[in-house]
Amino acid sequence: MLAQKLHLLRHNVLSFVSSRTGSDFTRRQYDVIVVGGGHAGTEAAAAAARLGAETLLITQKIMTIGALSCNPSLGGVGKGQLVREVDALDGLCGRAGDAAGVHFSILNRSKGPAVWGPRAQLDRERYRQFIQSELLSTPRLTVLEGSVDELLVSQPNPEEPGHHRVTGIRLVDGSHPILSSSVVLTTGTFLSGSLFMGQTTSPGGRMGDAQSCAGLSYTLKETLGLRVGRLRTGTPPRIVKESVDLSLAQLQAPDKQPTPFSFLNTHTRCKPEEQLPCYLTHTTPGVERVVRESVHLNCHIQQDAKGPRYCPSIESRVLRFPGRRHQVWLEPEGLTSDLLYPQGLSMTMPPELQLRLLREIPALHRAEIRTPGYGVQYDFVCPTQLTPSLQVKSTQGLFLAGQINGTTGYEEAAAQGLWAGVNAGRTALSLPPMALSRTQSYIGVLIDDLVGRGVTEPYRMFTSRAEFRTYLRPDNADLRLTPRGFEEVGCVTLRRYKKAVSVRDGLQEALMALQSVALSSTRWREKLGNISLSENKSTTLNGLDLLQYKDVSFEMLASAFPECLSQYFEYSQRLKIEAVYRPHCEKQSREMERIRSEESLSLPSDMDYLSLPVSLSQEVREILDRVRPNTLGAATRLPGMTPAGIIHLLNYVLRTGFMHML
Amino acid sequence: TDAYLYSQSSVCDAETIFALSSGHGRCGVAVVRVSGPASSMVLRNMAGLTQALPPPRTALLRRITDPKSKELLDRGLVLWFKGPHSFTGEDSAEFHIHGGPAVITAVLQALGSLEGVRPAEAGEFTRRAFHAGKLGLTEVEGLGDLIHAETEAQRRQALRQMDGELGRLYQDWSYRLKRCLAHVEAFIDFSEDELIEDGVLNQVDSSVRQLETEIERHLKDERRGERLRTGVQVVIAGATNAGKSSLLNTHRVPPSRGTTRRPLVEREGVRRARQRVEQADLTLVVVDSTQLPPDPQLVAAFLQQHLSTVLPSPEAGMTAASDKVLLVLNKSDLVPEEQRERTEGELRERPGLPPACFLSCSTSTGLEDFLTVLQSRVKTLCGDPLSGAPSLTQARHRAHLQQSVQALNQYHQYRDQDLALAAEGVRLALTHLGRITGRVGAEEILDIIFRDFCIGK
Repeated sequence: MLAQKLHLLRHNVLSFVSSRTGSDFTRRQYDVIVVGGGHAGTEAAAAAARLGAETLLITQKIMTIGALSCNPSLGGVGKGQLVREVDALDGLCGRAGDAAGVHFSILNRSKGPAVWGPRAQLDRERYRQFIQSELLSTPRLTVLEGSVDELLVSQPNPEEPGHHRVTGIRLVDGSHPILSSSVVLTTGTFLSGSLFMGQTTSPGGRMGDAQSCAGLSYTLKETLGLRVGRLRTGTPPRIVKESVDLSLAQLQAPDKQPTPFSFLNTHTRCKPEEQLPCYLTHTTPGVERVVRESVHLNCHIQQDAKGPRYCPSIESRVLRFPGRRHQVWLEPEGLTSDLLYPQGLSMTMPPELQLRLLREIPALHRAEIRTPGYGVQYDFVCPTQLTPSLQVKSTQGLFLAGQINGTTGYEEAAAQGLWAGVNAGRTALSLPPMALSRTQSYIGVLIDDLVGRGVTEPYRMFTSRAEFRTYLRPDNADLRLTPRGFEEVGCVTLRRYKKAVSVRDGLQEALMALQSVALSSTRWREKLGNISLSENKSTTLNGLDLLQYKDVSFEMLASAFPECLSQYFEYSQRLKIEAVYRPHCEKQSREMERIRSEESLSLPSDMDYLSLPVSLSQEVREILDRVRPNTLGAATRLPGMTPAGIIHLLNYVLRTGFMHML
Repeated sequence: TDAYLYSQSSVCDAETIFALSSGHGRCGVAVVRVSGPASSMVLRNMAGLTQALPPPRTALLRRITDPKSKELLDRGLVLWFKGPHSFTGEDSAEFHIHGGPAVITAVLQALGSLEGVRPAEAGEFTRRAFHAGKLGLTEVEGLGDLIHAETEAQRRQALRQMDGELGRLYQDWSYRLKRCLAHVEAFIDFSEDELIEDGVLNQVDSSVRQLETEIERHLKDERRGERLRTGVQVVIAGATNAGKSSLLNTHRVPPSRGTTRRPLVEREGVRRARQRVEQADLTLVVVDSTQLPPDPQLVAAFLQQHLSTVLPSPEAGMTAASDKVLLVLNKSDLVPEEQRERTEGELRERPGLPPACFLSCSTSTGLEDFLTVLQSRVKTLCGDPLSGAPSLTQARHRAHLQQSVQALNQYHQYRDQDLALAAEGVRLALTHLGRITGRVGAEEILDIIFRDFCIGK
């Protein structure tokens, strides 16, 4: 199988033959088919294969698998947490980031470890290579180049009108269908996508790539009757590095010592001294002038599709907040790339005006554009039509992940992709679907927000979305997710599991060792020198209590008690973080427990709320009927829901099955 | 599997809740239920049980005292239920106390002042019981209706209050706290990539401090302070020669702190008189005892009739039975002893009539008793801002406001050390305030962030 797959991939990559040739090598049936080779698709395919499902990844161009189609960076505040969690569940993007990063920094370093944002600028080429070679070496995974024309679904069951079952896909070339009981769609911006630049519009989901998947759109909208909405996004022009006067921009150095994303890595591929800097510059009044003069030549900006409030084009920023200076980051595209990526200058005006605009910025006064910026508008499937396993409620075996669900960002896509892949694999292997709790992970928060509340603009992760932010930290993602990922989900390999278990046990021992050293405050002061402790002289404090103090480090304690603590040096940072946050997390654990138990009570998707024989007000019935929450927990968070309504639903779910919750 | 993180926490950190579980309004006995790990502590502190707890499920007659002031609140039955053998499956306690609003309010406020103990949300007992597997289907169904009724009542009461000054005050706090949180969150989520104006946290510092001061001040005096400052408006009303001026001029009405005395002269005209009465906190209706019907059985009807001419119409919220009225039967020295006693007996606890006191301004007979009644009325007025309505909601508000202030302390404590933990303080404060003014979701905070800042990573 592996040999055949290698052949297939090499065949396509090397000779660019059409998919028809390729399909000769493919089987006619897979456990899981993943459509799309972006961040969601690659994670989905790899996760399904790790689970043990025979998986096929279909992409328009094998060359672009793992391509970073927008910004050359990964992670950040909130997004970095997602990367750590995807890694903890043995996904790809964390390790890919470590292999491709050329500028690592922990954002929010001064604001507390719970909100640290691991981030890296990436070398596009290295990222793509890592993802491609990783997929190549994944057992049970086949990659096929081709365009999907049609999603094959069963006729609706007469007893359950509107309910379908996925049976497979058919490629554009009209060859034989490829059958599968699980299909994951990760088509990004390609669903009825159109590209905008100046006054020209063309169909497509990304410049330079094939057109949108019209057949898929038809199946989703017409056959399956899914509700869709329209969103827009955009990308900036790419600038020739040589043409930029970097002496007029402010240099932003990376961290001296890069911190890897992955729990498996102790260092990054890029050596500390090989890292590249970023540059910071600002817009000028001239930029605003060009935007105002070009509004009438700019179709995209005149459309009313919802764009992200936090990633607006330079046009929207200037028009919404006039008279201000806006930041522009000039980011490297890679070690050997001759391009710079101007973060913050996404624009859709005609190319000649883009050049005029750039040149209004001092550092860019001689800038040359390699490829102009453009806008994309695309359909997304309203994600309230999905279950927490990311399966379409009305279609057994159909899973959606990434921008098709209304999100934005690589990390958000990767997180959903992984989880959709897990559930597609489980479904194919006749295992029950699983959900992630919002009390345990940002991935859980992301999915719960999507399926529980829907989106009105491209959804991006922020730490402020997580109720239990002090627990959902980047440092403990492995403890939160890896053991269960192995024991219950099946998406974690043995190697990673063993590592996480040994870390967990080591930390546990270290915490006990810390608690075992107890002294009076006076004695601690004697041991550690002049530290300020608020407690009375006679109060007895153990090492863990002491570690909560701002000025006390694990190293200080270990030098005071070398015999019992020095063996835990490798955990010193994690122990410090754990000591500071533990009391707060414990205070929240009751609330967490309540949310988890309510999340675990699932509400059947076909429940007839309007005639449910329990006493609910008409108003509450209508809310429930409209949103169709998946769990009692989601119902509780609905605006307009009453405590009495919750009790009645609680009563109802007693008679129905329980969904397994991670 | 992550046992080392949260091994015992779900048990030892559970919050303890309390609620009045008998119906609202006047009743003979009221039952206050407490559930959660601190129940035994509550019982020890409030029922003076220094040694062993009573055997489970056995009623014990105890003095119930305020744990802080040690003031006696009531004498009543206490019961102890050791978990899991209780309604909720947790350690629980019950206080069976006298049903008057004053006693209930005092006990609830005392409970709310204990650390780790808070008023229950609607339906919370039931939900705990359910999660402990203590409820069957029919019970859940039945309780759903009960909670519905309870929530409705709370909602109506909250609405009434939210219309008023108090509501505006809470809403204003909530709005300001939301902005504080939004600005801290913006600083956490965006300041690395965006131009977040310098000093945004300094502004939050001072806003939080200002809020703390205001809420604390409110907790200290509430409208009691307002009343004390502006005085309790007492109006003396009555027919010519009934003895209004004499009552005022006895000068033996003690100058109860903050009490202003305002004679109402009949010349001012009936309309104006009624207006004054309407605005008053307390009206003393003075009647000439010699004008009362000699037959004691006819006195009640006579007084009823008389009150209706003095007091404003019932639509104005003023009825003869209102707590805001006292009847003073003056010139008692001119009425035969026997007739007075029989009339007194007839009027005692007469529904639809305010308390009546026989009194003689010239001989001072009965003055002492009258003053006792008057004092207790003034005290109630000053002590209870909702004047009359059982202030259950008020006890809830107090507890949430107190917790809000405590949470805001956490903001300052961690401000320079760990902004995530500092923000947690503001989040928690808003959650508590939100239990009064309505829940605040993450989206609402993001809306403020995007409105107030130009975020464009």
